Amino acid sequence: MKRRSEKFAFTLLCLFLMTALAGHKVMAEDQNGYLTVTGPCHPTFPKDHGPHPGYRTEWWYYTGNLLAASGNQYGYQLTFFRSQISPSDTTTNWPRPSSAWRTQQVFVGHAAISDLSKKKHRHAELMAREALGMAGASQKTAATTVFIKNWSTTIGADSHVLAAHTADFSIDLTLQPAKPPVLHGQAGYSRKGSTAKKASCYYSLTRLISKGMLKIDGKTIAVEGLSWMDHEYSTDPLEAGIVGWDWLSLQLSDQTELMLFFLRQQNGEIHPASSGTFVDRSGRPQHLTREDFSFTALKQWQSPRSNAVYPVAWHLNILPLAIELTIVANLNDQEMVTAATTGVTYWEGSVSATGTLAEQPVRADGYVELTGYAKAFRAPL
Amino acid sequence: MKKFLFFSRLFIWFSLRDMRKHMGRAATVLFGIALGAAVFTSVRLSVNASLDSFTKSMDLIAGRADHVLTRPGGYVPEYLIARLLDHPMIRNASPVLTTYTRVSQDGSEPFLLIGFDPILDRPLRNWRINDKSGQSPVVWLDLLKEPFTLILGEPLARQLNRAPGDSLYLEHAHQKTRFKILGMLERSGLSLAEGGRIALTDIATFQEFTGLFGKVDRIDLQLKPLATARDRADIQRLLPESIQLNPPTAKRESGQMMIRAYQLNLSILSFASLFVGMFLVYSLVALNAASRRHELAILRATGASAYHVFFIFLAEGAFLGITGWLVAIPLGNFLIKYLLHGVSQTISTLFVRVQVDTLSLSVSEIAFGFAVTVGISILAAYQPAREAMQVAPKEALEISQLGMRPRKSPGQLAIWGLICILLVLPLSRLPAVLDMPLPGYLAILLLFVGFSLLAPWALQRISHSSSAVLLKRAGIPAYLASRYVRDSGTRTAVSVGALITAVALFTALVIMIYSFRQTVTYWTYETIKGDLFLTSKMGEINRFRYPIPQQVIDDLQDYRSEIDILPNRRFFLNYGKFPYEFELMDMQGFMQYASFFWLKGNPKAIRPMLKRGEGVIVSEVFSNRTGLTVGDVFKAQIEESYLELPIIGIVRDYRTQGGVVFYSMPHFNAQYHQTYWGGLRFFFKDRSQDLDLAVAKLRNDIIDRMGDKVDMYSGKGLRGAVLKIFDETFAVTTVLLLIALVIAALGIATTLTVLVLERSRQLNTLFAVGASFRQIRSMIFWEAGFMVVIGELAGVVCGFVLSCLLVFVINRQSFGWTFLYGVNWGALGASIPLIILTALAAALPAVKMVFRKPPATLLRER
Repeated sequence: MKRRSEKFAFTLLCLFLMTALAGHKVMAEDQNGYLTVTGPCHPTFPKDHGPHPGYRTEWWYYTGNLLAASGNQYGYQLTFFRSQISPSDTTTNWPRPSSAWRTQQVFVGHAAISDLSKKKHRHAELMAREALGMAGASQKTAATTVFIKNWSTTIGADSHVLAAHTADFSIDLTLQPAKPPVLHGQAGYSRKGSTAKKASCYYSLTRLISKGMLKIDGKTIAVEGLSWMDHEYSTDPLEAGIVGWDWLSLQLSDQTELMLFFLRQQNGEIHPASSGTFVDRSGRPQHLTREDFSFTALKQWQSPRSNAVYPVAWHLNILPLAIELTIVANLNDQEMVTAATTGVTYWEGSVSATGTLAEQPVRADGYVELTGYAKAFRAPL
Repeated sequence: MKKFLFFSRLFIWFSLRDMRKHMGRAATVLFGIALGAAVFTSVRLSVNASLDSFTKSMDLIAGRADHVLTRPGGYVPEYLIARLLDHPMIRNASPVLTTYTRVSQDGSEPFLLIGFDPILDRPLRNWRINDKSGQSPVVWLDLLKEPFTLILGEPLARQLNRAPGDSLYLEHAHQKTRFKILGMLERSGLSLAEGGRIALTDIATFQEFTGLFGKVDRIDLQLKPLATARDRADIQRLLPESIQLNPPTAKRESGQMMIRAYQLNLSILSFASLFVGMFLVYSLVALNAASRRHELAILRATGASAYHVFFIFLAEGAFLGITGWLVAIPLGNFLIKYLLHGVSQTISTLFVRVQVDTLSLSVSEIAFGFAVTVGISILAAYQPAREAMQVAPKEALEISQLGMRPRKSPGQLAIWGLICILLVLPLSRLPAVLDMPLPGYLAILLLFVGFSLLAPWALQRISHSSSAVLLKRAGIPAYLASRYVRDSGTRTAVSVGALITAVALFTALVIMIYSFRQTVTYWTYETIKGDLFLTSKMGEINRFRYPIPQQVIDDLQDYRSEIDILPNRRFFLNYGKFPYEFELMDMQGFMQYASFFWLKGNPKAIRPMLKRGEGVIVSEVFSNRTGLTVGDVFKAQIEESYLELPIIGIVRDYRTQGGVVFYSMPHFNAQYHQTYWGGLRFFFKDRSQDLDLAVAKLRNDIIDRMGDKVDMYSGKGLRGAVLKIFDETFAVTTVLLLIALVIAALGIATTLTVLVLERSRQLNTLFAVGASFRQIRSMIFWEAGFMVVIGELAGVVCGFVLSCLLVFVINRQSFGWTFLYGVNWGALGASIPLIILTALAAALPAVKMVFRKPPATLLRER
């Protein structure tokens, strides 16, 4: 009897621990004093739309394809990066009293509009420290606001409101999620390398019904379309030898979505941690591993600014899903040169795809991000 | 081309060969003109170097900002930054804080510490980390990460002997703190400001170091290119009323204006050397024209046109100018080393802080120096050339004894001279043009020209009227000398003119400097009264912008029984482009121990009004520069308060860097807003004790109790320092003056030598008919004596007139101040005989020349 009760107690303890682990993110501090992602993240919403200080890097990434009443097509990108420049515990060494300018958080914003009809790509960048209301990320009454100067995203219960006003163009959009957040990898734990710590917490809103205004050359244009939002945070995701990545998001005409990323190694091979997520019509994710897909560049384009050679057309084959797509950049020159902020030169552009899914013809719109082509990617901040 | 070659050959044969033959006199003239050119160019290049350094620093610090937000006399609240960045027409905004700091107990000079946000500032200013030393290109990010870190300008790092990774202790009014050096700046952009003696730090560190939490000196803005006046008005509406939105050029322009006024004054003074040198050229070319009259006639008889002759003599002037300018290059190189330091120090003391690290050789400035030198040499040669072209070919057959006859009689010249002198008065009453006393300078030029034109007539009259007396009293040599000077015409007069110019300058400057010094001394002892002065650490260099620590003020209360403590606060403001200080002080206490140096208004009536805070008194400089006088209303925005107060008096004040407005501190605190104590002065209540001892004891007590948190100066030391600065300021002037005198002495020596050489035949005839060497030497000395005495007398008279112009016109229009006129009879009395002796000594070479050739040989010639 005693033995049975001991066994019962042990089972209870195990259950408790499992429950505890399942309900809480697995996080630890790295040797530098930053939090690291080491296991499933189990994000909860709306809380996890908010910032995650303690991790070195975090971003809120919006991309989308929009259509004006005139028939003109536009791609856009609006990204907010948060970078923690020193470990959390270093605040104890700050002088007292501290200046209002003293902070650990620096925010960077990148925005772009690809005017696909006029074949023109415009981009802008911003950077500010989280001080004196110049930039920040906060949560109040379940709404998350991330802003840098006059760029912002406000994530409410049922919408995301984006605003970015640059010298060249403006973006004012309201996005409504058509599907719940999709957690990538294992409950949001997205591996980016060989060890457990080389990972990020990553979720997406894969189908955001978008409506609003763009302002280009002083002209306001009413637009609507679909957007994609990624929210990801980590401390040291990339391992040595990885020179950059190709990332792809597609919204397919059959109401499914696809996200893939390929971690490119110095030796030209794709790292085994590269993975993806397929989202079915109901919003259920299916994790894809490196072995599940092949991605072949079909065409290249050389940037006149950085001389980097980027692929601008691809063939994608996902065997388990019977997906075969040809993806083409809607505009070759969608390069982002961000010398004034992160210093990273990358390609972030609107793409279109055609092909088949389960032998049914499909088409898709989406965005591709290509890093490490101008020079090996190095975390800038 | 053919004509030019022919003319060149003619010039070489006729002029250059003759100059080579008389190498000594040509060399003397060349040296004189070279010295003048060297002084003129060096002075201008030195002031330009300071001007460039100032402008460059201002531009580099202002960066690409097109507007700047400031609060007059105060700080801009930092919370405005987010509001500004949100504005759609503002492209970039960057807050900036600057202060001078220094390495603790290092004894090294203070340097400029700039606190800014490296992120917001990137679009506005160019600065790059020198990554050759392996430093990370994102060192700027480490400024944000680590408190008390900085990046040094490379020259500063070299001077401090520090490298990245090292640390240093910096001291400031607020504290002394250890800083870590993260890197060095590349020698470009912002790092060139202040001669590279700058350091950059994050704004957070700056505020924590200086205690300036919540505020910044200014916010630099870059508006969008399409921003209109309406947008600017819209931005202004975002701001509190006390914040001003201006172009960043305002401060630069006011600094440039002051340096340019100084440059103009020094240029004019240095031009005097060239002006005196001009007499030398005239004298040599005139001699050549006169003594070679026979050769000229032959030249004319053999086919040369009158214009050929004219241009040959003009070319002589040009040759002297060009060669003199070339010789001036090595001379200038030597002079500039002294002037560069002296001038930049004077500008730093008087106007704006400059750090001259390089001498920029501006092509236009060198070309200007060349043009002026050659231009005045040609101008000096013009008259003799005109005379020479009058020589008729038939004179080739005559034996000329007459030499050059002036076209205008001394009487005619004297009338022109008088007209010039008479014009001085109306010109001196004209206002400045473009903030420059141009009518005043024209008056000075006319004064010199007028006295020089009077010289031949004066020489003629004085020699004529004194010849009979001299015959009786001083014998034949004196009589002959007076007759010769009377008949020698303009050539002798020209040298006298040079002497008049130099002596007038000397006299005027001696009077001006004396008047100035006496007035400043009086002002110092009246107004800068106090037994001990105390400011926050490095308060003076930081314009008293940091409050005296409260703990210090509290501790000082313990001394209340022995001393009276008079606090003050100075705000550095601008009235339009004119910089001035608004000084608050305890008028009641001040007037108990000290007083103002009243210029306008009734002190008896004004004092009680001042104590009651019923108005302000302004300095003479402020009044002259702004046009505001007693009865007008002084209006100013000072920090968050707007003042409108009547001007009730004008006082003399010789504080550098602009004018001053004084107001009662208790009334300002009561009626406007509370302000902190920026400085203090102490007066011992017991005035009968040994004050030096008491000051030393109090000073030591304060150091013992409060450490080195504050800077202190004894009243005696401070007054001494003021006068030392004064003397240093005039060091450059004195050097320029001495050089002008040297050139004038050269002029006398050349003229006398020339006169002797020209009259060799005559002198030898005298010798042949029985005159002794002694008598002939005596005669030459008498001639020199005539010239020198007349030159001196006229120079002194001219100098007195000039001194009035300098004191009451030039200084007032250039700097806004005047002085109590005073003549240093002692210095003048001692130096004028000295100048006479020096000038007479200049006759010695002439005497030696008299009998260089045997008389018989000379008499046989021709």
